[in-house]
Amino acid sequence: MDWVHHILYGFQVTFIPINLLFCSIGVVVGTLVGVLPGIGPTAAMALLLPVTFKVSAASSIIMLAGILYGAMYGGSTTSILVNIPGETASIVTCLDGYQMARKGRAGPALGIAAWGSFIAGTISVIAMMFVANPLARLAIKFGPPEYFALMCTGLLFVTYLAQGSVLRAIMMALTGIILGSVGLDLITGQPKFTLGIDELQDGVGVMPVIMGLFGLTEVFQNIEQRAEQTEIYQTKVKNLWPSLKDWMDSKWAITRGTVLGFFLGILPGGGGTLSSFMSYAIEKRVSKHPEDFGKGAIEGVAGPESANNSSCGGSLIPLMSLGIPPNVTMAVLFSAFIIHGIQPGPLMITEHPDVFWGLIASMYLGNVLLLILNLPLIGLWVQLLKVPYSILFPLILLFCVIGSYATGGSATDIIFMLFFGVGGYLMRKFRYEAAALVLGFVLGPMIERSLRQSLLISDGSFSIFFTHPIAAVTIGVALLLIISSTMGFVKKRRKAFEEFKE
Amino acid sequence: MTRDLTSSLFFLMVSVVVFVGSIKLGLGTTRQPGPGFITFGASGLLGILSLVELVRAFTVRQAVQGEPMFKGTLWYRIILSALAILVYALVMPTLGYLIATFLLMLCLYIMMREQRWYWIIISSLLSSLASYYLFSKLLNCQFPDGLFWF
Repeated sequence: MDWVHHILYGFQVTFIPINLLFCSIGVVVGTLVGVLPGIGPTAAMALLLPVTFKVSAASSIIMLAGILYGAMYGGSTTSILVNIPGETASIVTCLDGYQMARKGRAGPALGIAAWGSFIAGTISVIAMMFVANPLARLAIKFGPPEYFALMCTGLLFVTYLAQGSVLRAIMMALTGIILGSVGLDLITGQPKFTLGIDELQDGVGVMPVIMGLFGLTEVFQNIEQRAEQTEIYQTKVKNLWPSLKDWMDSKWAITRGTVLGFFLGILPGGGGTLSSFMSYAIEKRVSKHPEDFGKGAIEGVAGPESANNSSCGGSLIPLMSLGIPPNVTMAVLFSAFIIHGIQPGPLMITEHPDVFWGLIASMYLGNVLLLILNLPLIGLWVQLLKVPYSILFPLILLFCVIGSYATGGSATDIIFMLFFGVGGYLMRKFRYEAAALVLGFVLGPMIERSLRQSLLISDGSFSIFFTHPIAAVTIGVALLLIISSTMGFVKKRRKAFEEFKE
Repeated sequence: MTRDLTSSLFFLMVSVVVFVGSIKLGLGTTRQPGPGFITFGASGLLGILSLVELVRAFTVRQAVQGEPMFKGTLWYRIILSALAILVYALVMPTLGYLIATFLLMLCLYIMMREQRWYWIIISSLLSSLASYYLFSKLLNCQFPDGLFWF
């Protein structure tokens, strides 16, 4: 019963007043970000990173994770009431959620979204608790070849599950790897692609990259459009507690959503958005009345909302136990660990138990807080939509500037941030995805280190990746992925994804 | 020049520059990989994929490639805010955080042309003061003092 002891310790950490405060700030900001369109959880986590510089690593991670799962809760509110998804993981909730609201069933829709999120969020934390620790123990035995194979396969998954062109996603990942290698060489100390700029000797800072690509790019994309007045569907939100029939209709949707979200969360490139899309597709397929989907079927709200919350717990597993961020949001969390001097990975759970168990306990608490925040305060969150973007955007921009400056204390970082902001904006215009670039950028130096170490161990032979069983299996999976994609499996899935997007 | 053609040419150019740079850095051997080893591989692959994209750009018909990118957008706002940030980064170490931030916020609010002048001044002042207090005083971030010790 080791885990009881651990989780009690986790609650001890969470109930330290400062951690409690940061957990609450995290879930409130997360809900806010989820409600407000135009800024997603990844950007919000990046924007609030500087706030956490001077607090302990545990407080910092607790808050940042709170933003992530808080956004998953908040996103459903605007999808249901206004037909505007607050963030991408709530796009599908619009389909049936808004229709339910139009039929006067906004209350049950919001209720089932919140309860589904709560149930899925809590179950995924429990599952994470039982999976992450044994996996980390197993991962201690991993050497450089295993890590190299895992990271390359992970990156390949990310590009194959990208929303746009796979080819372009691979190009972005490669560009990320190149950007990640800027700085002094690991072994020889020789400057690589520093262009004679002193500030680049330590490499391109992760903060300017994230702030630029997610904060500034988002702002640029919003200010180039004329402001439109948001029309809020005028309806009285009542009956937030779903009826027995609603519960019966949604129970399997919530269960399937939870399981699916959790596993897609673990998968590199998965995460909230993909989980919610897939859950909707499955619910529609298994439903006895698929014709009701798009006209206000409660399963179409319950499934995806459970799935996107469940994916949060799942996606923390590879980060915590292997040290490999499976998606771009986790890459931001990964940077937060590094800034606090903690290397996520198998040793982290034993070396920094306060961070790991504190985070798990805070997620139980955070889910309860979110339920309290979301159901009674829905009116307040909807009012926030009336805040014009012209007031919000200079403030978001200010956070980007401060965030980039505060890490290195150099104004050059602001210029780098601007470079990545403009670059990110152009990338969107040219239909290239920034997510693969950031993952390539974060994983690049780790891939380089593990490859060079592996080759040193094997005396220059690439066969090391095929003689180590775990590395060989992982590479086998990567090969299978490539073969299956050419057979049209992934193409079919991507087509379905496109259909939903339309 | 179409969108796809421009982007694939850009990435092709990047890959060539990095490829040549990697060779200059030294590739080493597989027994002892040099500093240019990884970027050599990455840029080589990037180059090949850019070429594939380039070929595609020629074969896909113009009409499929979509509308002009900046049609109907307020693109000048992006240029103005990017310029404001650039100037901010250049003058902030000399002017100090408070003055530079106040001016930046002023520029951004004026650019949107949606609020009254007194609202713009008050909110610029408040946001720069509040952010200074939060980050410099409460969170101990170091900002340049600048001309007037603030």
